[in-house]
Amino acid sequence: MNVKNQTEFCIHTLNQEKLLNELSKTFTLFEINRLSKNETTFKCSYFEYKKIEKVLKTKEIEIKYIKHQGMASKISKIATSFGLIGAIVVFSVFYFLQSQFVWQYDVQGVDKLPAVEVVSFLKENFSNRKSEINTKNVEVALVDNFEEISFVSCMLKGQTLVVNIKEKLLPDEIYGDFKPIKSHKSGKITKIELISGTVKVKVGDIVRAGDVLVEPYTIDTSGVIKKVEAKAKIWADVYNEGSVDHYENFIEINRTGRVCEQNEITLFGLTIYSFKDEINFKMYETEYEDVDLIKNIFLPFKMHKTKIYELEEKVVQTKFEDVKEEYIEKAKTKALEKCENCDTIIEEFYTLRHLSGVTIVNYCIITQEEIGVYDVG
Amino acid sequence: MFNFLNEVKENIKIPKELGFESFNMINISGRLLYVEGHLGLVTLSKELISFKVKKGVVMVEGVDMILAELNENTIKICGTIKKVEQL
Repeated sequence: MNVKNQTEFCIHTLNQEKLLNELSKTFTLFEINRLSKNETTFKCSYFEYKKIEKVLKTKEIEIKYIKHQGMASKISKIATSFGLIGAIVVFSVFYFLQSQFVWQYDVQGVDKLPAVEVVSFLKENFSNRKSEINTKNVEVALVDNFEEISFVSCMLKGQTLVVNIKEKLLPDEIYGDFKPIKSHKSGKITKIELISGTVKVKVGDIVRAGDVLVEPYTIDTSGVIKKVEAKAKIWADVYNEGSVDHYENFIEINRTGRVCEQNEITLFGLTIYSFKDEINFKMYETEYEDVDLIKNIFLPFKMHKTKIYELEEKVVQTKFEDVKEEYIEKAKTKALEKCENCDTIIEEFYTLRHLSGVTIVNYCIITQEEIGVYDVG
Repeated sequence: MFNFLNEVKENIKIPKELGFESFNMINISGRLLYVEGHLGLVTLSKELISFKVKKGVVMVEGVDMILAELNENTIKICGTIKKVEQL
């Protein structure tokens, strides 16, 4: 890489020796190479090329080309590039303006106090101009407005207001979720492990889905109600039922295979051609389909197809005893669908109820599972 | 400023009236000719470069010669230098 800051001239003139002698009295010339009788190249220092160019122009000498070498010419080119300078100026102004504002809030050290609350408080009560933010005032305001804060320190870092908070060690009850534990399934209570709260059921009780199991309070010896978070583990035998009905006689409707078609060709919603088979079916069902005949937006021809299928009724008679196992399996599948979370199955059985022409198969799977959940509603 | 040629001349102690102040020339391996005290270029080509000195003209003959440097006082000629002659 050539690191010399030089400029190469190629000149076209007669009596070059005289010209070179005149130039050499003021400037140092390098690598003078005579290419032909009238053409010569020479180099000079980049920092003198403007003066030499001026001399050559004064003497009306034809300059074929001027080439620059070295970093100085590149730097000079960049420095005189107005577009780039403009962009740098605009960027600098933009950077200066935006650096005057706080664009981000970084709340650290919060565990129980929501950071969003702190940020919204800061946005509401303080300007986002950095010059107007006094971090000491911010600290005082935060301590005054949030009783959970024990210690706070603020600092401006770039465009970010960093808030470092140390929370007070408050009892958990302050943050407690005072909602009862409710049963999410029906069943028979088998085991209770109370952690906090007042249990409202006992082992052996039969509860329904939605019944309250543990209330979020305790009553002390003086009868004062104190709010606490309801925490307990309650297990119950849950009856998961699946039911299927069997009818000895029922009507089955099937397609016979005979079909009629009615077609319409439309343009912009107007029917321009229609074809309709005569319908002689006693019972039928129809299917519709719209098809684009031509795919363009100027003439959107569409075909509206209607297919009419003939139907027939058939009375099906089955004895329950013939399909008993199949129906029991269906009922079991339905019951299993209700068993969530791979519950422990304790017992399973089925019952049959015979009514006039109908047999109801009821399959019951008894599982043991934890039924108490926090009421999030 | 230190000048090697002036030092050589002072060391030899040759009187000034003998014309030693005209020009100095050093030929380095026939590839580079360094001249001090020229008075202007007369001819410039790849085969012949001549320049004026105080009492005459110096002609340099060679092959593929270029003027590596030219200023008011000095000349550096690069190329294959065959002959240097003062007329």
